[in-house]
Amino acid sequence: MTSKKIRFVTDSTCDLPAELVARWGIGVVPCFVNYGSASYADDGRELNRTTFYERLPEIRPHPTTAAPPPALAEQIIGEAARDADHVVIITAPAKLSAIHNTMRLAVESLDLQHRATLIDSGSVTIGLGWQVLAGAAEAERSGDVQRVVDVIHRIRPHVRVYAGLSTMEYLRRSGRVNWAKAGVGALLQIKPVIGVLDGEVPQVALVRTFARAVDKLIELARAEAPLDKLALLHANNVAGAQELKERLSDITPPDTMILSVTPVIGVHIGPESLGVAFVSDKWKQ
Amino acid sequence: MVANANITACDGHLLKRLAEAGLIWLESNQEKVNQLNVFPVPDGDTGTNMYLTMRKAYEEIAQLDDAHVGNISSAIARGALMGARGNSGVILSQWWRGFAHALQEQPVFDARLFAHACKNAVETAYKGVVKPVEGTMLTVSRQAMEAVAERAQVETNLQSLFETKVEAAYASLRRTPELLPVLKDAGVVDSGGQGWTFIIEGMLRLLRGEDIHMRSVKAVAVQRPGWQDALVPEDEAGYGYDVQFLMKRQEKPFDVDAVRAAISEIGWSTLVVGDENLIKVHVHVHDPGVPISYAIRAGAALDDVVVENMQLQYVHYVEERHKREDTPVEGVAVVTVASGDGLRHLFAQELQAASVISGGQTMNPSTEDFLAAIERLPNDEIILLPNNPNVIMAAQQAAALAQDKQVRVVPSRTIPQGISAMFTYINSREELAHDALADEMNAAMTDVISCEVTTATRAASLNGVSVRAGQVIGLINDVLAVAGDDIQTVARDVLFKAGADKRELVTLYYGQDVTQAEAETLADRLRATFANQEFELVYGGQPLYQYIIGVE
Repeated sequence: MTSKKIRFVTDSTCDLPAELVARWGIGVVPCFVNYGSASYADDGRELNRTTFYERLPEIRPHPTTAAPPPALAEQIIGEAARDADHVVIITAPAKLSAIHNTMRLAVESLDLQHRATLIDSGSVTIGLGWQVLAGAAEAERSGDVQRVVDVIHRIRPHVRVYAGLSTMEYLRRSGRVNWAKAGVGALLQIKPVIGVLDGEVPQVALVRTFARAVDKLIELARAEAPLDKLALLHANNVAGAQELKERLSDITPPDTMILSVTPVIGVHIGPESLGVAFVSDKWKQ
Repeated sequence: MVANANITACDGHLLKRLAEAGLIWLESNQEKVNQLNVFPVPDGDTGTNMYLTMRKAYEEIAQLDDAHVGNISSAIARGALMGARGNSGVILSQWWRGFAHALQEQPVFDARLFAHACKNAVETAYKGVVKPVEGTMLTVSRQAMEAVAERAQVETNLQSLFETKVEAAYASLRRTPELLPVLKDAGVVDSGGQGWTFIIEGMLRLLRGEDIHMRSVKAVAVQRPGWQDALVPEDEAGYGYDVQFLMKRQEKPFDVDAVRAAISEIGWSTLVVGDENLIKVHVHVHDPGVPISYAIRAGAALDDVVVENMQLQYVHYVEERHKREDTPVEGVAVVTVASGDGLRHLFAQELQAASVISGGQTMNPSTEDFLAAIERLPNDEIILLPNNPNVIMAAQQAAALAQDKQVRVVPSRTIPQGISAMFTYINSREELAHDALADEMNAAMTDVISCEVTTATRAASLNGVSVRAGQVIGLINDVLAVAGDDIQTVARDVLFKAGADKRELVTLYYGQDVTQAEAETLADRLRATFANQEFELVYGGQPLYQYIIGVE
């Protein structure tokens, strides 16, 4: 078996820090956020996440998110294919975003079907990012496409992403109230805890206060310890994320990250929300 | 009148009259018992609860004609058990249970057997309470029993024994403030002990041939909500029977006016139309035999006789209404208690309680109310959520009596605690088994601090708080915390005392006597004072309490 040069392409909902993107040479196709009369690429230049979340409560009508133009996906996939034998493309769930389909169209239009593999991660934010990293590490080790695909499929079921919302307001504004429905919330306000699993957004718990939503996130992470990977996610709430990290300090793996969450998720869950993403140690067995 | 000084044995007939006398004397004095409420809050009416318990007990024997004292006492105990409401009512029902158990094989009781039955009654009452508290009905009934036990060694006359019993009961009652500091602070004797003493005293008065105001047993004013309100029969004996028939002339012609006048005397909702040959009669009565006999005596031949039991129709209707108001759920079902249409809707619709019994602060539901809901629901596993400290024992008694179903009580003492428990129910009902779910719900109740704002029913000085009658008072977790002259100040003060400034969410459930605009004004003021807390306003519709507040 000859070792191949494999490169990776993903989308900007992966929340991978810039240094990891650079270290593994990952191509990142930006998603777009539309508001006012303009469209902004989530590429770290056009759209500053901190500024965006600060302004979000005042933006009317509520921003929407959009997949990138196919041409942009073609350009980034094309660049990756130029100096690689094979391209592995991992995306946000097709059930939640049009980005997966955009990538598929780009692969077809570039006529790369024979040396590109498209994978639906079923997850978002770093839950997607970790699948890319696991694949990239395997590619560097073995240069074997099948082994790369296998490792991604192995880690995938162990990836968990949960969010605790400080308010239902943004689900209402973005029309995603069904992410937290159960007949509850009409009379009494609730703080939903939701997750992302296989492209679905299950409601994990309905609690009355944000403090208890955070407690629930802690409980969910602890239930899967020991952890191989952990990230604390926030929508403009670094202090809250740091506090989460401290409360989990006895189970935090060495490379634990604090990440500002992708606006593609943030527009729905709203500023101040917190999240946890983790992978149990069990995936390596 | 009995007035026979030499009674040495009591049979079923006499016990029935004694129970009736106890009931009537308690009824005559129930307001006095209600006044002994430790807290100056408009609920927890011990006198009403004990009276309703005792009335249900008497109803069980009202139609019985049985000389066997064991049978009569068993029936009384059964009725008391079903009718038990409020903690005092439950203890009373346990007392009767023990009394009946000791006599079940006995056709009559004499002095010694009476002393033995009283002893068993007290022992059973003590066992009915998880942590018996001295200075209550338990102490009063025990010390009265001890006096009777001693006297029965030498005395065979039952009237004399009752005299000893009542005397000892009053002596014990007067000492209750020494045993319970909360009574001393409030300057009252124990209400349950007083209620029990009135029952025994009524019995003694019958034996002495004294007046016990033998007036008819009348209904207590019960606050009922919505549709039930319009339906409750005004007549204590219920709706009675709807009787219709045709009177056909046999010999002499009818005098329609005379018949109409006579029928009107017999019942109500009368309709008498016709002529000297044929009269149609329609009347509502308690005894359908009376108008029929009258018609026969008036010389008529009867035709088309229709008798309908309206009380049964009413009971069926209510039953159907309850069924329709139940919320079908899979798995473990919750039966809870709330007064106020807003709170009932909240529990039933938003929080998925399978059945919401009306009551709580105004009217404590009985053991039977819980049992009816338990039996009506198709679910095999049930959790009872009483939401009031004075309803917990009735719920526990119902859980113990329920047959073929697994019933757990989660002893919520307030509405906000019940709501906290229900959130756990919603989140965990699909994952947790019955017992584990009840345990989790129990644990969740500590998530919330409960405050209440209401009007003081009388002056009091408790927990260092002095209250004048009619002042606004604030309670924290059921304990008097602040008093003042206006709702806004009291609401603010009670929230500070509850530590709301260190919490996240304050929920105001406003009552039926508060308008939405008033509630919004209060919420806005509180928001200004508690800038870091979220406030939400929910219509509760509860009577008597202007605000019930959850702080979490």
